Amino acid sequence: MSELGLTVFVVDDDPAMRNSLPRTLRMRGFEVEVFASAPDFLAQYDGKRPGCLVLDLRMPEMSGLELQQRLGDSARFLATIFISGHGGVRESVQAMKGGAMDFIEKPFRTSSLVERIEAAFEQVRSQLELQRKCADIRMRFDRLTAREAEIVARIVACPAEISSKEIGRHLGISPRTIDHHRARILEKLEVRSTAELVGLAVRMHRDCAEPLFDPVSPPED
Amino acid sequence: MVKRSLGPLLALGFAGIQFLAVMLVVFSSYLSSEAALIGHAREILRDVATNTIEHSRGFLSPARGAAVLAARLAQSDVVASDDPTELEKLLFQQLQLVPQVSGIFFGTEQGEFYYVMRDEKTGLTRSKLVTFPEGERRTELIWRETNFEITSREMDPQDRYDPRIRPWYTQTQAEMRSVWTDPYIFFTSQRPGITLAAPVSRPDGSLVGVMGVDIEISSISDFLSRLKIGKRGQALIINENGDVIAHPDKTLIKTGNADGTYRFVTIGELDDPIARAAFGPLFAEGSMPGRATKQDFFYGDETYVSQVMPVGSDILPWTIAVYAPKSDFTAEIERNRAVNIWIAAALAIATGLVGLLLANLVYRPVRAFAVRSALVAQGELDPSEPLPSTYGELERANDTLVQEIAERRKVEHEYGQTFEMAVRGMAQITADDGRFLRVNREFCELTGYSASELLEMRATDLTLRSDPPGPTGARELINFDLPLNKELQCRRKDGELVWLQINGIVVRDQSGTPLHVVLSVEDMTRAHDQEQQIQTLNRELAHLARTTTMSQLAAGLAHELNQPLASIAQNVDSAMLTVDQMGTDNKDLQLILSEIEEQALRAGEIIRALRGFIGRDEGGQSVFDVAVLVEQSWRLVNAEAMEHGTRIETGLDGLPLVEANRVQIAQVIVNLLRNSIEAMAAPGSKGGQLIRVSGACTDGMVTVTVEDSGPGPDPKIRLFSDFETTKPAGMGLGLSISRSLVEANGGKIWHDDVCTSGARFCFTLPVYGADGE
Repeated sequence: MSELGLTVFVVDDDPAMRNSLPRTLRMRGFEVEVFASAPDFLAQYDGKRPGCLVLDLRMPEMSGLELQQRLGDSARFLATIFISGHGGVRESVQAMKGGAMDFIEKPFRTSSLVERIEAAFEQVRSQLELQRKCADIRMRFDRLTAREAEIVARIVACPAEISSKEIGRHLGISPRTIDHHRARILEKLEVRSTAELVGLAVRMHRDCAEPLFDPVSPPED
Repeated sequence: MVKRSLGPLLALGFAGIQFLAVMLVVFSSYLSSEAALIGHAREILRDVATNTIEHSRGFLSPARGAAVLAARLAQSDVVASDDPTELEKLLFQQLQLVPQVSGIFFGTEQGEFYYVMRDEKTGLTRSKLVTFPEGERRTELIWRETNFEITSREMDPQDRYDPRIRPWYTQTQAEMRSVWTDPYIFFTSQRPGITLAAPVSRPDGSLVGVMGVDIEISSISDFLSRLKIGKRGQALIINENGDVIAHPDKTLIKTGNADGTYRFVTIGELDDPIARAAFGPLFAEGSMPGRATKQDFFYGDETYVSQVMPVGSDILPWTIAVYAPKSDFTAEIERNRAVNIWIAAALAIATGLVGLLLANLVYRPVRAFAVRSALVAQGELDPSEPLPSTYGELERANDTLVQEIAERRKVEHEYGQTFEMAVRGMAQITADDGRFLRVNREFCELTGYSASELLEMRATDLTLRSDPPGPTGARELINFDLPLNKELQCRRKDGELVWLQINGIVVRDQSGTPLHVVLSVEDMTRAHDQEQQIQTLNRELAHLARTTTMSQLAAGLAHELNQPLASIAQNVDSAMLTVDQMGTDNKDLQLILSEIEEQALRAGEIIRALRGFIGRDEGGQSVFDVAVLVEQSWRLVNAEAMEHGTRIETGLDGLPLVEANRVQIAQVIVNLLRNSIEAMAAPGSKGGQLIRVSGACTDGMVTVTVEDSGPGPDPKIRLFSDFETTKPAGMGLGLSISRSLVEANGGKIWHDDVCTSGARFCFTLPVYGADGE
């Protein structure tokens, strides 16, 4: 059941919890790392390792909510599950607003926590998958030359005017040259048609929240 | 009551106590010094015995050397010649060498006898030579100078002395080694002495004769007589057979035998009754004591200390016996004790007498004053009558009383005026039905009636019908046993309701019957309104405090309990997994484990339900001025602050209105103020205590700061955490409740420890109208 590379990070100030929870999780095959306080975790977590953060809400030095805030964007591949000894409505709302996956009150059945951890892993995994895809698309786009990128930008910007003639006029180049470029572009982006190219660009824009190109994009308009 | 017998009692008491004290000191010092002195006496006795032993040894040891030397010389053929003169000369030389030796002699197997001795009468040396030239006995006496020159010589045909039958000869002959004889009385000089004899033998071992040395031991007696042992102490030396061989009185130790010779007296015969009593029994038992013994004994009517000490030598089986009367050492302090007892008795009597006189002297004026006071009290004497001569204190007391009486009369006179002029409303009413007898102007103002109207009315006409009920009047109004102090709502003539603070005093005659009641009245209406507002706030606060404390307690408990419960649940889970992995199909164990898990979860449910049940009263938000709320909260704790000498300053002018739950914020302010007051009242806090409450407004939030000059929070405490406290009786929930309340109202609370020595707590509240999300 263990996911290579996915780790459960347990942060809890209660020594008994630090003892019992990781044990039962490890017995179930999870990779577990334990931290006695939020600052401990901050000091040791590099922001890259993917996994699930099982976080106690109320801790003396820094509360779980504070840790969640501190982590912010630096933990993109870290799904947070709060566990709380005295679940207050206010805290749970705040936790969920802060992007927590879940909020469990102590005491809880291990199986329910495991279910949630697995859901969290699923989420992280799809995040990772998405990141992989984005990186792939990115790589393909990065193969384009400046001229080719210009042509792609034009196509994506005005999907209604995608004939070589229209693009050639717009860029001041002969349609033959455009045709030539288009063949190269489809090859480099590993797509079969201009429609697929547009779909790829849209996906990149939507899922990866990244601009298609660096500031080089269309020189005019 | 102090009785007349005080004087003698005091005197006797003083005298008795003093007598006892002095006697105690006398006896204790007597006993301790007696013990010390007797210890000292025993030491002296022991020293004397030791000295005597040393002296005796020192006295005898050269003689031993002399005898042994002479015997050797005799053996080495120096005396083997038949020349009596040579032998005499040898003996003469030896005698000159050792002064302790009184004579030195040589007796042979043939009965010859060569004897050289000091002649005390002439100061010369006398030689006695018994020889048998041609088988005929010849005894010659020769007197010589120290240079061996003959002074005179004579023959003694009567002499029958035969050395071979003397004890020293026979003993030596028997033992064939040098022997010490027991001390005996010398035949010639009739003095006590001992003889050291050594055999002179041929190379084949047969005996030639015996060489002997006489040592007079009367000088040991002389030594004993020179010893000083207390005043009357004596030391003597007793031989192992009980003979007294040395005694300070030399004449006592020898006695004549029937044949005209002399012997030592035994200790039983000694003409020293004290020594006989002391040491006789020791030797009568047949053996002398083997080691040093000390003992006390009685003789006549005196106690003696004694010491017996054996010399501890085989050749001198002697025992030194020393005794001395105890009184030699303790007589002085005994005399002293007798004198002291007399002095104590005399002192006690004197003290008693002085005490008696003094008590009488002190008591007489007091008695006179008491008599006078009794007379004044009974009215048989005017207090202004001159006092009998007495003490300043009593005179001053008398003066005070007289002044007091004068003052009373004056006050009674002035009372009438005071009544009229008083700032408070004053009224005099009858004690039975409460009719007004007299009212002042202020009372008329308060009630709205004129004086003449009031004099027609009763006190109960002013009070509301329901309070107090019934028409009986003053009796209802006033509990006659207690001074009245009540706040009542009354109706003025114009119908307006006013709160009056009424104090009443019942004036009684001498027999205790109430004459009338004097009322003092103050208008409390304004104070009462504000008071009521604060009371309401207080009630609400009390309710809030109860619920928030319960709720915080439940939350805290939930947190503390849910941790271990969660651990139990996880551990059970681990256990179940372990059981599964073991592969044993133990249904019971699995059942037990799942039940444990169920119960842990159930406990969690119960705690959750409890919290829901106690649930916080959310209350309504309202818009209010923090300054007013701080003012009212301050009034609630002001009594405590005053009690601890703490001043509270507020500076919250010009702040905008805030929107929050008013009672909850009041609770926070009261909590912070109380913390400060208690912190500064705690032991070890500095003086000049001040709490300052100030406010500021930034970014749509009002910040209220409560700072004090106290010691500041304990750094070991985690502020705002449940169950953390330094107060001996606190639960440690105050600050955490405050935090919950402030946060519930959209604010923040924190401790600002940057710039003050004391505590500085701040909290924020959203300004009304500002968009605080």
